Order: sequence, then C-alpha cells, then structure tokens
Amino acid sequence: MHSTLSFSRATTVPTTNYAFHSQSPINLRFCGLRREAFGISILTRSSSGRVRLSTRGRSKRISASTGNNGTPPKSFDYDLIIIGAGVGGHGAALHAVEKGLKTAIIEGDVVGGTCVNRGCVPSKALLAVSGRMRELQSEHHMKALGLQVSAAGYDRQGVAGHANNIASKIRSNLTNSMKALGVDILTGFGTIVGPQKVKYGKVGFTDNVVTAKDIIIATGSVPFVPKGIEVDGKTVITSDHALKLEFVPDWIAIVGSGYIGLEFSDVYTALGSEVTFIEALDQLMPGFDPEISKLAQRVLINPRKIDYHTGVFATKITPARDGKPVIIELTDAKTKEHKDTLEVDAALIATGRAPFTNGLGLENINVVTQRGFVPVDERMRVIDANGNLVPHLYCIGDANGKMMLAHAASAQGISVVEQVTGRDHVLNHLSVPAACFTHPEISMVGLTEPQAREKAVKEGFEISVAKTSFKANTKALAENEGEGLAKLIYRPDNGEILGVHIFGLHAADLIHEASNAIALGTRIQDIKFAVHAHPTLSEVLDELFKSAKVKAPASTSSPISEPVAA
Amino acid sequence: MANVLQTSFLPSTSSLRRRSISGSKGKSQSLQVKAKIREIFMPALSSTMTEGKIVSWMKSEGDKLSKGESVVVVESDKADMDVESFHEGFLAAIMVEEGGVAPVGSAIALLAETEDEIAEAKAKSQSSSNSTPQVVEEKPKQIEEAAPDVPAAAAAPSVPVAKAVTLGSAVHPASEGGKRIVASPYAKKLAKELKVDLGTVVGSGPLGRIVAKDVEAAAVAVPVAASPAKPDPVASGIELGTVVPFTTMQGAVSRNMVESLSVPTFRVGYTITTNALDALYKKIKSKGVTMTALLAKATALALVQHPVVNSCCRDGNSFTYNSSINIAVAVAIDGGLITPVLQDADKVDIYTLSRKWKELVDKARAKQLQPHEYNTGTFTLSNLGMFGVDRFDAILPPGTGAIMAVGASQPSVVASMDGRIGMKNQMQVNVTADHRVIYGADLAAFLQTLAKIVEDPKDLTF
Repeated sequence: MHSTLSFSRATTVPTTNYAFHSQSPINLRFCGLRREAFGISILTRSSSGRVRLSTRGRSKRISASTGNNGTPPKSFDYDLIIIGAGVGGHGAALHAVEKGLKTAIIEGDVVGGTCVNRGCVPSKALLAVSGRMRELQSEHHMKALGLQVSAAGYDRQGVAGHANNIASKIRSNLTNSMKALGVDILTGFGTIVGPQKVKYGKVGFTDNVVTAKDIIIATGSVPFVPKGIEVDGKTVITSDHALKLEFVPDWIAIVGSGYIGLEFSDVYTALGSEVTFIEALDQLMPGFDPEISKLAQRVLINPRKIDYHTGVFATKITPARDGKPVIIELTDAKTKEHKDTLEVDAALIATGRAPFTNGLGLENINVVTQRGFVPVDERMRVIDANGNLVPHLYCIGDANGKMMLAHAASAQGISVVEQVTGRDHVLNHLSVPAACFTHPEISMVGLTEPQAREKAVKEGFEISVAKTSFKANTKALAENEGEGLAKLIYRPDNGEILGVHIFGLHAADLIHEASNAIALGTRIQDIKFAVHAHPTLSEVLDELFKSAKVKAPASTSSPISEPVAA
Repeated sequence: MANVLQTSFLPSTSSLRRRSISGSKGKSQSLQVKAKIREIFMPALSSTMTEGKIVSWMKSEGDKLSKGESVVVVESDKADMDVESFHEGFLAAIMVEEGGVAPVGSAIALLAETEDEIAEAKAKSQSSSNSTPQVVEEKPKQIEEAAPDVPAAAAAPSVPVAKAVTLGSAVHPASEGGKRIVASPYAKKLAKELKVDLGTVVGSGPLGRIVAKDVEAAAVAVPVAASPAKPDPVASGIELGTVVPFTTMQGAVSRNMVESLSVPTFRVGYTITTNALDALYKKIKSKGVTMTALLAKATALALVQHPVVNSCCRDGNSFTYNSSINIAVAVAIDGGLITPVLQDADKVDIYTLSRKWKELVDKARAKQLQPHEYNTGTFTLSNLGMFGVDRFDAILPPGTGAIMAVGASQPSVVASMDGRIGMKNQMQVNVTADHRVIYGADLAAFLQTLAKIVEDPKDLTF
C-alpha cells in the first residue's frame, strides 16, 4: 500500500523546481566538484577507505534480530525517525513537527552533530577572534581610521573557552527547541534492522527496536584522514582537535587548502602562527571560482605568514615525539616520487570529510555504500544495490555526499519531509550558497565560470560575466575594507543567474540575495529594480545586477511593484 | 562609479597603449633604423605595480598580430589583465616565459614587422637573454643609474647557494646534516624580501630552525648574507687586493663627510645616570617602546628648552631657528648609513614614536625611505651603546647644528656628594656642535636639562 503511494508520487512532475530537468546533468557534476573543495583526497584516494570509523564502538549484534525482517510492521511507533541529530536531522525534525508528524530523532553522540560541536559553530567563534586580532594588528588599517591601539594580545584559554561556550549554548538551544516541539530524542546508535524498522541503544545495554513509516539517515561525516598520516590529537590533529585550540603552534602545516584549511589558516596566522599549506592539486583553493581563488590568494595567502606546496601529497606524517618535530613526507602528486620533507610543530589534516555510515545496518536492506556515501536519487531516496529505490528510506546531508554543507543537509531534510507529507519537492542544489569565513569572507552560489562555460557550450547558449568591486562601495570604503570582488555569471538572453561569487567584507551574508534569486527563479532584469538601503554592502550586489546586460525585458508584472501589504 | 570599476578590472586600453608607446619611444626609434623589430614591454597596470608576472601568452612565436589584439595576460599586484599589441607584425620571440616575472618597462617579447625579420629578432632576443639568464633579475637596460644598487646578474648567487649548503651543515641540526635548510614560512618570505641567503643564516628557532628574527638579524648585521650582489662571496664579503667603487649611498656619505670639514665644530661630554630610564624602559618595553625612541623623546624635550641647540647656520651670517624638532637617528644598513627622521619628536607620544621608528627602520632596510623621511632632521642622535662602546664622538652632518653620540649605559661605582659609594648605571653622551651658532654654555645647559629628564623620566610617557 505504502509503496504504491510512493511510486505514484515519484511519477509526479516536480512543481517546485521548474529548472530541474534541464539542469540535472550539471547538478550531479557540480556536486562532485563541490566535494573536491572539501578535500580532493576523497576523490584521489578512494581506495584507501576509511580510517577512523572503527574507533566508535557500534553494536554489531544485528544478526540476532534479523529473523523477522522481511515484512514491514503494520502500525508504526512514529511517522518519522531521523538517525542523527545534527543540523540536517534537526532541520528535518522541526519541519516534520510543523507538518504534524510524530517524530523521533536518534543520537548516539551529542545533539548538534559536527556543525555545532566540531565544525561551523566553534570555528566561527575562533574566526571572530581572529578577525578582531587581525584588525588590531594591522597598523596600517588602524592608522587609516585614525585609531591608536597599543599591542594587541590574546589569552588562548579565553579564546578556546569562547568557542566551547558557544558550542554548548547552541547545542542546548537545539535540544530545547526539539524537546519543546515534542520531538522524542532517543539516545544510542541507530541501526536499520529492516524496512521501516530501527534499533537503537548504547553499548552494553539492551537495544530498543522502534518502527516508523519513514526513516531519514542523517549520520553526517567525520574528518577524513588519508592513510600514512598518524593523528595523535596533539601535534597531528584534525579540525575536531583544532577547534579546542589546545595550543597555538609556532609553525603549523595544513594539509588541504579547501575551506576548512583556509579558515584555520586565518585563525592560526591571526594568533601568531606561521602556516604551510600542502595541496595535492596544482592550485590552492581548488573548487572555488578560479578568479576568486586567485584574488583570495593575493589577499589571504601571499601577504600573510603562509607558504605552500602544491601538487604534492602528504604521504606520511609522524607526530612530534622524543624531541623530534612533526615530520611530513611530501610526494609529488604526478610522478609519485619523494619531493621534500617538512619539519613543523604541528599538522592539521583538512583533507575533507568522510561519511559516517558504518554500522548503520544498510546491509539489512541491501544497500551498498559508495566510498562510504549512501547512494540516493535527487529526492534523497536511498538506492539499493540493484539500483532500485528503497521505500520509505531517505538519506540527507554529508552521509549522501551530494553537498557537504550543514544548511544543505537541513534543506534536504525539509525537502524529504515535504515529500513524505504529500508534496513532491526537489531541492535545487544550485541555489544552495556556500561560504568560507576568512577575513574577508568568500561566498558562492551556483556554477563557477568554467562550469558555466562548459554548460553553455553543451547546451548551446551564451553566457556573460559581470563584476563589481568593493572599492566602489561606499560602506566598504567607510569600513576601510575596499578589497573585494563580486562576480555574476548569467545568460544575457534571458537574464538567468547561473552563479554568483563574492570575495570581500561580509560576503557570506551578501550571497543570499543571489541564492534566493536562483531558488525563486528571479531574473536579473527584474531583481535589478529591487531597492537597497544606502550606504550598505548590499549595494555591491545591486551594482552587480545593474551592470549585467540582459537582452530580455523586465517582466510586465514584477512582484516588486505590487506590494502585498500596502 | 562605473568608471572606477572599469579601471580596476578592465583597464581602458587606450591608457595602456599610450603609456607603453611613450615607454618604448627612445628605444624603438634607434631600432627602426636597422630593422623593424619592436619590443613589447611589461606595462604598468597600476600605480603601485613595479613588476608583473606573465600569466599566459595568448599568441605563440611566429603568430601574426594585428594592432589592438591581445597578446599576453599579465598579473599585477591587483589583477590579471590582457595586454594588447600596439603595432602590427609578427610575435618574433618571447623573452619572458609564462610564469616569469619582469619589471615594469622591461622587454618581454619582440615584435617583427615582417616574417623575414623573425629570425633576426630571435637572435637578438637570445643575445640579450644570455647576458641576463634569470628573468626575475632582469632589469631594463635603460635605467643605468640604478645599476650599482641592483644585483648585476643572476650568475653570482649560484655560488653562495652552493657554499651555503655546506656551511649550513654545521648549524642546522634540523636539516639532516645540511641537506636541507629548515626555515619557517615567514622567515622564507622575509629572506626573499630582504635578499638574505638562508644558507648563511644560523637558525635560533626550535631544533635550529631559521625564524623571522634570524633573517632580520642577518639582514642588518651580516653584510655577506645581505649582499648576494657582491662580486665575490668570500666569508668576509671583501676580496683583498681589489678596489671596489662606492655605491650611490656610500658616495653620498663621502661627500657629506668632506663637506663637514668646512664647519667649525667642538665637543662637550656629559655623564648621565640611567637607572630611572632603564626601569621605565623595562616597564613599557612590552608595549613596543624602544630605547631609541625613549632617547629621541628625551632629547626632543630638552631641545624644547634650548632652541639654540636645535638651530643651524645656513649661510655663515645668521641663526636659523627650526620651527620643529626633528630627531634624526643614524642607522647602519647594508652597505651604508642612513638617518631616518622622527618628526616633531617633542609632540608625538612615546608609543606613536616607537611605532613610527619601527616603520622607518623597516622602510630603511627595504630602501624605501622617502627623502623627507631622512633629510629633514634638525638634531642627530648616534647610538653605539648596543655594541658596548662607552664613548665616541660624531661628525656633524652638514645643515644641522648638533649631533649627540650616545655610549653604552654601564653599571659604575659612583661616589656621591655625601661621601658614600654606590652602584649606578651611567652612560656617556658627547655632543658635537657648530660653534658658529651653538656655544659651550648652550651645550652645557642643554646637557644638564637632558640629564634631568633622563634621571627623572616621568615626562617621557606624559
């Protein structure tokens, strides 16, 4: 009965995303590229497999309860069970309650997941500190503003405390918000034992089995550590350890120059460390629009106490011990020959993140992961080993690897809830913005210029690029932060926004005008009539839209000219 | 606003074109007589650009170019820009390959008017690139004046590098018996900036790693390390039995010293107790205050009360009473001496003064001082105290009234008026002055005031 329902849904034409069909091939490729930004090692060393997952003790006593797996139960304990209470699971749970579903969330660790406890949230606390330190240390900047500050200093313990406090505060906010709405929080590791059936429990306790009409896997990811690298948590660390800021080394090597590595380089250099980047690709900051990464390199790397090795793998990293420093063996990415040896005080492994899907019991429902990722279709429905959809099972967030961002997970979760409550929905990943919180920030949405050009050639349309500078923005100049660029890639024939990339002050906050326009299908010829307060940084995007040359005329009934509440 | 944008990202080609034409004029005229081979120059894409990197050549050797066609993409300190050809012709020879760096105004390629001249242009480019094998070091030949200051050719540095590795083996425990040089990222950057050969630097960081301050020390103290330009890298930096002409700066020092002989100078010395000053220095050192700034400040405050000591004699007939007190401080830099000036040292607070001083020293080392930053001094300080020198006298720089030589502050046994004996830190200062305007009594009174300020330095921090 249920499966019939779900199949009929599958044939429904998506109503919310008119552009999806034409974009689907690009969408897939785009996700692949995005993953690159988080660490190319996932792609290049897929054979090495996962390293750290076995450290988390999961109950493996699955076989005992597989006897009655074949048939789904007749009535369910819950409408929806979400395995994993990270940002993705939380977003899904909240939306599910809003839609009237009886919802439970299973968490084996702490509520909030990576983002809140070991990712976005504490790192923003550190970056807030680094931004201020950077400003105070910039004599030139201070002088230009007419300010005088005697030597700026910091207390490591205090900084680390700030990061920790904010994490626990957000964690309790998340927990409370779910409790207040009546989401059951079940503690333990969740394992799928059969269709619509999950067991959970702590190690050493008896497992509880619960049933649900629909199940969402939202187990997230863990830092990916390539083989040959020995993480000791003190001198060779991952972002998990770095966020605790237990020490500030004089010299730290950062393996991987994606957004995690970049953000940490911002933090460490502001706190007085010197940084060496190790990047396997030939260029720093792969995954960003090339023009943006070039500019970012001029601002974020070259003038700072940072050097780098590109086109090399860190094939062996030994933690500091017996009076010896951290030793890093560099191997040429192409010739595979030993290239150099580095001796540093610490090494941060920022080669990306690996999905955390071991022990989920996927074998019970004939699902085989791909390099650890749970295969899903564009509606986040899990695909089994034979290429068929598994009914009532969805996977969102880092675990499916479509777009490894906290807010993407949440958006996917909301999309799934929409589907299970009767409204077909496909998330347009091209409308999901991404941001890197360096000083200044980098943000992006949609395609990069090379991706857009490739698509344009394939599909036979023209593209144009418009750019504006922060140097021309009054507010940016008042802040004495004129360094920056906003770039728009669009179709001149119909005014469709293909991608927007911003590097500059508060870029992460500025991107949403563009991402919302993409999500809502707003065209440039219409959005250019929207009014921005003066003087604000948002005028950077205003200028950007206005400088685009679109042949199509503005819509006759522009939503902007018809206020709803007048 | 749109115009501003255009200039920062898409420079109007007309301005580029104009600039490069004027830059090439002198050269191309003489060339045109022999053959129609023109040079394509590294353009100045922004006011602050001194060198540019070739991102990519859009044409290859032998390609035909029409006027206004893009030839090369150049990366400046701000952005990447296409550079267009200003003439029609054939791209005969590329002199700076992709990835290479060339100073603004130097030739990066040759343009032949006809196909027949391509071979000739190629030969020409080879002969010129042979003389200067490293693009990075290549300087425009027109700028002859700069020659003494600029590393002449790239051939020389290869010798010290080879030497450095063997030298390094003894001093870098971190470098696997000298096979590698271990230097922190910032140390490497600084070394490049200050032209210090890392192989000659002894590391003081963890496990003998070279850190930034080692490079800074090497840039100031060890002339060998700082001057790969010297023709022969013998350990002392001097080849015995040779005559080495003055650099521009050394020539200027020489002229000034001879000129000083026409001024009737005399000297007055004084011993000042520095215990209080030392204590103050210890207290505010962490805020970035330097002893040099403290001394400059004390001197400036004393000069406020004795304007005659801040005066000078320009024409032999009159006093010139200077309106501001600008303390010049002598600094030894690679291959010479310069006197950065702390302007209005009496009015500026000690913290600002210290920052200013640091800035000036950095600029002096980078040879970026502007004329007003080194030739507007009204009173000069020369301090050799840090080297343990206890007393010396200085030559009066022309155009000023007085210079004070400061010796080291040392613990001394001192008999006091009441018949007791005690230990005090004392330093000797010795003022050289122009007796046409400053007399013995003036200096004596000035020194007494200075001693009072130093011995009770509360006024230095306001």
